[in-house]
Amino acid sequence: MKLWHHYHTPSSIDEALALLDHYGGQARVIAGGTDLLVDLRAEEGEPFPALVDITAIPELTIIETRNNQIIIGAGVTHNQIVRSPLLAANATCLVESCGVVGGPQVRNVGTLGGNVAHALPAGDGTTSLVALDAEAEIILNGERRWVPILEMYQGPGQSLINSTHDLLLRFRFAPSGKGEATAFKRIMRPQGVALPILGCAVWLRLDGATIVESRVCIAPAGPTPLRVGEVEAFLNGQPASERTIHQTAELGQKVLHPRTSKYRATADYRREMIGVLLRRTLTLAVQRAQTGAAVPEGVGM
Amino acid sequence: MAKDKTFTVGHTVKRIDAVGKVTGEAVYPGDVSMEGQLWMKLRFSDRVHARVVAIDTTQAAALPGVVAVFTAKDVPNNEYGLTMLDQPVLCGPGSNSIIPGADVVRCYMDCVAVVVAETEAAAAEAVQLVDVTYEDLPAVFDAEAAMAEGAPRLHADHPNNVLCHYRIRKGDLAAGWTQADVVVEGEYYTGYQEHAYLQPEAGIGYIDDAGRVTVIVAGQWVHEDQEQIYHALGLPADQVRVIYPAIGGAFGGREDMSVQIVLALAAWKLRRPVKIQWSREESILYHHKRHPVRIRAKWGATRDGRVVAAEAIVIGDAGAYNYTTNKVMGNANLMATGPYEIPNIHVDTYGVYTNNIPCGAFRGFGGPQGAFAAEGQMNKLAEALGIDPVEIRMRNALQEGSLLSVGTPLPPGVSIPQVIEACARESFWKKGDIGWSRPQHPQPDNPALRRGVGFAAAFKNVGFSFGAPEQSWATVELYGQTEIEEVVVRHAGAEVGQGTHTVMIQMAAEAAGVPFAKVRLIGQDTAETLNSGSVSASRMTFMAGNAIKGAAEQALEKWRNEERPAVATYQYRPPATTPYDPETGKSEPNFAYGYVAEAVEVEVDIETGHIRLARVICADDVGQAVNPQLVQGQIEGAVVQAQGYAIMENLISQEGRILNPYLSTYLIPTILDVPDEVKSVILEYADPIGPWGARGMGEMPFLPLSPAIVAAVHDATGIWMDFIPLTPERVVAALREHGLGVI
Ligand SMILES: Cc1cc2nc3c(=O)[nH]c(=O)nc-3n(C[C@H](O)[C@H](O)[C@H](O)COP(=O)(O)OP(=O)(O)OC[C@H]3O[C@@H](n4cnc5c(N)ncnc54)[C@H](O)[C@@H]3O)c2cc1C
Repeated sequence: MKLWHHYHTPSSIDEALALLDHYGGQARVIAGGTDLLVDLRAEEGEPFPALVDITAIPELTIIETRNNQIIIGAGVTHNQIVRSPLLAANATCLVESCGVVGGPQVRNVGTLGGNVAHALPAGDGTTSLVALDAEAEIILNGERRWVPILEMYQGPGQSLINSTHDLLLRFRFAPSGKGEATAFKRIMRPQGVALPILGCAVWLRLDGATIVESRVCIAPAGPTPLRVGEVEAFLNGQPASERTIHQTAELGQKVLHPRTSKYRATADYRREMIGVLLRRTLTLAVQRAQTGAAVPEGVGM
Repeated sequence: MAKDKTFTVGHTVKRIDAVGKVTGEAVYPGDVSMEGQLWMKLRFSDRVHARVVAIDTTQAAALPGVVAVFTAKDVPNNEYGLTMLDQPVLCGPGSNSIIPGADVVRCYMDCVAVVVAETEAAAAEAVQLVDVTYEDLPAVFDAEAAMAEGAPRLHADHPNNVLCHYRIRKGDLAAGWTQADVVVEGEYYTGYQEHAYLQPEAGIGYIDDAGRVTVIVAGQWVHEDQEQIYHALGLPADQVRVIYPAIGGAFGGREDMSVQIVLALAAWKLRRPVKIQWSREESILYHHKRHPVRIRAKWGATRDGRVVAAEAIVIGDAGAYNYTTNKVMGNANLMATGPYEIPNIHVDTYGVYTNNIPCGAFRGFGGPQGAFAAEGQMNKLAEALGIDPVEIRMRNALQEGSLLSVGTPLPPGVSIPQVIEACARESFWKKGDIGWSRPQHPQPDNPALRRGVGFAAAFKNVGFSFGAPEQSWATVELYGQTEIEEVVVRHAGAEVGQGTHTVMIQMAAEAAGVPFAKVRLIGQDTAETLNSGSVSASRMTFMAGNAIKGAAEQALEKWRNEERPAVATYQYRPPATTPYDPETGKSEPNFAYGYVAEAVEVEVDIETGHIRLARVICADDVGQAVNPQLVQGQIEGAVVQAQGYAIMENLISQEGRILNPYLSTYLIPTILDVPDEVKSVILEYADPIGPWGARGMGEMPFLPLSPAIVAAVHDATGIWMDFIPLTPERVVAALREHGLGVI
């Protein structure tokens, strides 16, 4: 089965844009192809006139620190993220989420940019980027700019950018400061091959024994990824105690209204798991913030 | 005669098909293409139960590229079915059929039209243009509801939709209850299972050089496929030929017809090659499944652990057609009281028609469902009496000469006590002065994780049961002058991935006294071989072995008499079996059995409901491991397939429609799910009539796994979960009901 007619591998952003322009909406960006090729096959339609592979553009494949910001190219693969000591220390949750995507083959080629551009409400990479309060650099209608990560999501599977026309370039967020830590955990069916039943990422700052700031993302809990404002508001100013964590878990179950998805989980199960996940993820993040140690857990399982 | 011992019976020899399969060179049905071939697509039913009033094919036939559209009236004898001719090949008006109501669709997998076109795309488009007018009929989706008065009836000749009913009446049940010091009851439920073989259904039909209607396809019994085809087409047997190339798995799922008859029909009518290839979705939607079964059981035992009474009602959802339900439920009936000698028994087993997807053969063939209830009951009795689960089994296990539930002794070679002991010894148990016991199992530090251990045992028939005709032909040809230079074996048995062809060659080499390399097999082609029976019922090593052995002995006799080549054809017939007595069930059900026991360790996350299967110890009496590595492969494969059945595989059927026909939503185990350890304990207590003592073993490791897991989950949590699959949702619901894992 033929999936495309022409395959291009540009080596610069300009070249990629020129190619998209040349095909006038008939070409589509491809990174690892782990989402796109599945979709192309499922649609069983006409082959795509052209695919534009962005993974050979140097700017899109780097992990670095610049101006006290961590920068990750959209074409960086999940496994490159997993292997980065810089990210293990500064974005532990992201390493944990990229470390559980699919299996080794998917992580070898699947990219963080693809995870975001696909715009599903529960992409694992996305969940952690939200907790990290990341920004995404895009070229939208020819204009290059940074947008908050949540702005990338317009609806389920609907991205701010149009991948036959626009580009997602890079992500940036602040490195971990003193008293700060992150954690990510998810509930999968036994060895799920696709999206989680529920994922949760947490970012915390502790001042002594008090939680002074937090960001919490649970997905899927709506048509697009979201921060759980009520939970964050409750956490801020609370002692970093078991009791706080327990109360937070209960609050999460109250304020979120997960949906039933026919084949994956009922709303009841998801609500039950919101409590379990919040408790587990918060406990881990608090521990990390207290000890300063950050060794990613569960990666590659 | 020079003889290389290392390549014959009892030795691990590399499979003859290994290299081809690993390199991708092996040719599967979908890989076969022919010059000038056409493509076929099938129009399946759009309704779950309806009369087909009219089929308008004009628009479909007019589409460019379309060569033909066939409907019911094009099928000469419009009926088929492995053990009962109860399904129309194509549903629709005006056909010649013995089925009352061949114009009725009874489930979504019924077929109403066949479109053949120059390209696959044209066939796919045209099949949607076939205009079918239906008149809906009331439908029923629950087996017990289907048995109730006034339920919609699927087949005119089956009142209350009861397809089959078997009874067992042994001893005096009332007396049994009075002797019992404890009584335990349980209601057990087992779900569907999809075969999920790697190779979706495919094939090509054509007219061969001898003018025969020929189908290249994957199945489990070439001669049965041939018979189903020639019956439907109204042709003499020798005008139809079936050939199997490499087969990508079967597990019982290829016993019934999928594309065989329609391919033959099109090739016969059009005199051109016609090809079809199902997608994974089509494969899941349109071939049968393992029966969902509900069992209510009540067992009683004396204080010292002797089971004195057992009662069970077993209800299986057959779906819309028989397939092999009448045989599967017969087996479930026999196995619902386990490999134990129980003096007083009542069992009633029903197979019931519903408008769900038909159910049929699947590794274990009713045994897994029966064992699920029997072993659950045994484990509950052990708990109620405070007796170790191994110890209680030892006190009740069948012995040489024991009477089965059906009132007759088992064939000689009963080894279940030895198998239970071997499994216990190789796993977590120790035998002391007061019998078998198990030390406390260590628990993980994380309080959300609970570890537990469980045990179960089972027996599985080898070969066709209950009076079904049973035989297998083989031909052995010896070539050479002074020495045997080549041995040619003809045997039709299908290589579905289990390694049977390799094993046949090993047995032929052993029988003829030549090295493995000198033997060549000609197989799975009706034009080249005689009837072997199917690869099912764990029977092929046993049946082929005895047939090849018999043929080789006669050929050697001719060789010694200077015949060149020396050729002998031999039919092996095992001791006869007999059907259930309709009142008491009295019968001689089988001529051979295999015996199995399993111990498992699980880890339950009581907060999320996830169950990790950590270790499995599986002891199997295989009689003689003809090829030990292949035996181990069967044990590991069966264990992992049963793990999916017990924990993961959740086929969702809503009003007869399968909602998750994809491997992304119907989850089967992957390499990341398999247990840390599957320990195969291969025991060899010879079967007195098995070839070199061999018993069949391909199914039995499947049987005890799910009840052993349920026992281990109980050990970990204190809760009996008598339903499978144990999906996290269901497990959490059960745990929370008992106040476990609450945040
Ligand atoms: C077996 C399997 C298991 C999976 N498991 C998981 C899982 O556990 N968790 C999870 O979150 N996901 C999972 N996925 C989904 C997928 O692997 C991830 O979302 C992955 O990150 C997608 O990245 P990709 O590079 O392969 O994207 P692609 O498939 O290449 O692209 C996805 C979409 O994004 C667009 N796109 C990609 N890059 C850019 C760019 N730079 N600019 C503009 N548009 C772009 C493409 O046009 C396309 O629309 C799984 C997929 C498979 C096949």
